[in-house]
Amino acid sequence: MVGAIQLDPKEPGVSRLTIPIERHRLDNGLKVVLSQDRTVPVVAVNLWYGVGSRNETEGKTGFAHLFEHMMFQGSQHVSKNGHFEMVERAGGSLNGSTWFDRTNYYETLPSHELELALWLESDRLGFMLPAMDQDKLDNQKDVVKNEKRQRYDNQPYGDWDERLQALVYPKGHPYHHPVIGSMEDIDAATLEDVASFFETFYLPNNAVITLAGDFDSGEALGLINQYFADIPRGADVPPLAKDPTVAPLIGETVRQIVVSDVPLPRVIMAFRIPPFSSDDFAVAEVAQALLGQGRAARLYRRLVRERRVAKSVVSYAFPLLSGASMLLVWATGYPGMEHQALEAAIAEEVEDLRNAETAEVERAIALTETDLVRALERVSERADLLSAFELHFDDPDRVNRELDRLRAVSVDQIRAFADSHLGPDNRAVLIYDPKESS
Amino acid sequence: MSPLDRTLQPASGAIRHFDFPEVERRPLSQGLDLRVARLSRLPMVSVNLFFRAGEAGLSDEWAGLAVLTGDALEGGTKRRSGSALAEALESIGARTGVTTGWEGTSVALSCLADRLEEAMPLLIETMREPDFPEDEVDRVREQQLAALRQRKMDPGALASDEATRRYFAAGQPYARGQGGTEESVGAATTDAMRGYVESNYRPEGGGLVVVGDLDPDEVEVLAERYLSEWRGAPPAVVDFDPRPPKQERAIFVVDRPGSVQSEIRVGHVGASRSTPDYFALSIGNMLLGGTFTSRLNLNLREKNGFTYGVRSSFGFRSRPGPFQVSTAVGSEVTADAVRETLFEMQHLVEGGATEDEVAAARDYSAGIFGLQLETAGQIGSRLSQILMHGLDDDYYHRYRDNVRGVTTEQVSAAVRAHMRPDEVQIVVVGDAEAVVGPLQELGVGSVTVV
Repeated sequence: MVGAIQLDPKEPGVSRLTIPIERHRLDNGLKVVLSQDRTVPVVAVNLWYGVGSRNETEGKTGFAHLFEHMMFQGSQHVSKNGHFEMVERAGGSLNGSTWFDRTNYYETLPSHELELALWLESDRLGFMLPAMDQDKLDNQKDVVKNEKRQRYDNQPYGDWDERLQALVYPKGHPYHHPVIGSMEDIDAATLEDVASFFETFYLPNNAVITLAGDFDSGEALGLINQYFADIPRGADVPPLAKDPTVAPLIGETVRQIVVSDVPLPRVIMAFRIPPFSSDDFAVAEVAQALLGQGRAARLYRRLVRERRVAKSVVSYAFPLLSGASMLLVWATGYPGMEHQALEAAIAEEVEDLRNAETAEVERAIALTETDLVRALERVSERADLLSAFELHFDDPDRVNRELDRLRAVSVDQIRAFADSHLGPDNRAVLIYDPKESS
Repeated sequence: MSPLDRTLQPASGAIRHFDFPEVERRPLSQGLDLRVARLSRLPMVSVNLFFRAGEAGLSDEWAGLAVLTGDALEGGTKRRSGSALAEALESIGARTGVTTGWEGTSVALSCLADRLEEAMPLLIETMREPDFPEDEVDRVREQQLAALRQRKMDPGALASDEATRRYFAAGQPYARGQGGTEESVGAATTDAMRGYVESNYRPEGGGLVVVGDLDPDEVEVLAERYLSEWRGAPPAVVDFDPRPPKQERAIFVVDRPGSVQSEIRVGHVGASRSTPDYFALSIGNMLLGGTFTSRLNLNLREKNGFTYGVRSSFGFRSRPGPFQVSTAVGSEVTADAVRETLFEMQHLVEGGATEDEVAAARDYSAGIFGLQLETAGQIGSRLSQILMHGLDDDYYHRYRDNVRGVTTEQVSAAVRAHMRPDEVQIVVVGDAEAVVGPLQELGVGSVTVV
């Protein structure tokens, strides 16, 4: 049989993605994506809901994420922790995650346990509220507060995303606050909030379910119908409470210096970039790869290896939908180093993308290609990408065009992007400076 | 179709049998142990070259030399600079990485299948012909010193490092961090690295694992072509016993004023990879703290809300590694969390495991194994474990049967033999002012602020 990805026999290192995709939509609005691959007896079940921290209102920050925790507290026919118990017992893995624009839930199982995942996922989509009570909510508030303490408050640099988002996005913008939210808002959450959030967002017409891996498509669709079709469609999801419109550039260099108990100086420089849904996002992605993907890329070569001003570097283009997205570059310096020198060194490298060359674009694409194929070896990753592209773009087949989309970016576009988006008129700089005593 | 009864968990479908891929052993003329597995799902290849240049073979004075030498391999070869090497690899989309541990060093490669012929010689050049230029070696040392500084200010890393010192016999390799100390890192000079490679980067006791969409004959030709000159054995590791004399249970608090949480480690020396109790003990650990629905997580997280999560683990090494429970909890519930952790350990050791939880852990373990055979990298890592720990060739083919054969009695006996709640060393990194009083009131052992 022909695999989901083939290499071009004439051109070394060029792969063609032919991941099979079947789309359906139930009468209640649930979108279904099926991608069969029977080479290993594994199936991934993946649901994306069109709700994330961007949908939160004032005073309710962190709620999308707290709600995600509540989704594991049982539903009408499933006991508290039953979801974990049954999937683990079946030899599967599972989790969920909350982000700016979406919340996802997923199981990867031996394929003969597919129906278990469909039963569990449909029970919490259709019948969650009868199982909610104050004890479960209080317990998960404590768990989430400890998650915040562990990952953010008790961690050097742990509050970086909260600070950076507030610099890049103005107050009132859906991305101004972090996904984890504030302790006060988490504390204030009530059972009524849980119910109203569920009724507003956890609807079949605001969700995608993707199956990837070992199943028979006809049988799988039958099972999905059996478990999900009787869950009633809800009202349309309300528009964002906060206005996502924002100027394409920050307009200046905003800078925040945090003197704290950190071991090493760190400078994080972020830029507003076109949203994920824009054609220009591909340019930002490739520019990001030129800067930070691999050891031949600019930041590692120049800052880590040659100039030795940075111990480590990171770059990332956030795929965000509302108004503007964000590209960031960070560098962690050595003890005793002046943060001004580190910031200047980063600025020099991002500005020098004006002189980007074709060879480095090709290299960045080659590396991205292997990384994508490696990710797609796992049905769980395949399912997650398909859900993303279905939910955000009504276009799961985009997964098969990802490489073409990136290959189409020219070196001239990268150079122009450096001029238009990476200059001092579009920078948020967050600086962590070690306390004298550290 | 009958109406759906949602009160019933659906029955499982028919199990599809799936075997660990067939592995071909093709010993090379110079003695290298080559193992090749064909996995043609997707056009990827994973290469792991393992050899016995590990931290366990180094005295305290040289601690970190194996790790730093591995890190400095990317600094370039006799034929090309570090940047040129990175360019050559990345322009064909190849990623390489070096991992150094107690047992040895692994040099790994991942690339598209039709790039193997170009990428493999570059990987071998990196390992066989490193140049260690002064500026690159200086950089790697500076990076390591900075990393050690980061560990001291990261509460989780600080707790793990302190616990490591408390569990193991002083002066034995396992009692220190893998990356060396501020003092020993300075000894990792260019000359030291060149000498280390000369004597320790040797094929005997190691091997080459290649997995993916490939032809084993071609892999053999490549390996013969580029590794025919590589010969010899590294010096034998001087045997050591990492177990300290019998310990009293004790609590050590590392003061981090103003901490909103306490990082907690509770443990002692566990078992070696070669223990006959390996499967039973792994199952025992799973039900104590190895899964989401383990006793510890259900108690500390889902019942009490003390923490975002708690895990227990055995580090199975050539000699006994650590057994440890790790968690981070609110400062005000630190003593409560220690009490509940000790309760769960004691309860498991004294009361033994139940049939049902052993069955659940067996099912989980056997099932999850099958999920982890999807990628070339996953299978390559498994085969490397065979080389590293001298496991039988058919170890992974029999893995699920071995898991399924574990009985409740074996689990209870293994837990009794390898978990000793009376001897645990408890490390707490947190606000001493908030936690010392309640920890003393617990009365489970002396409390020392270190």
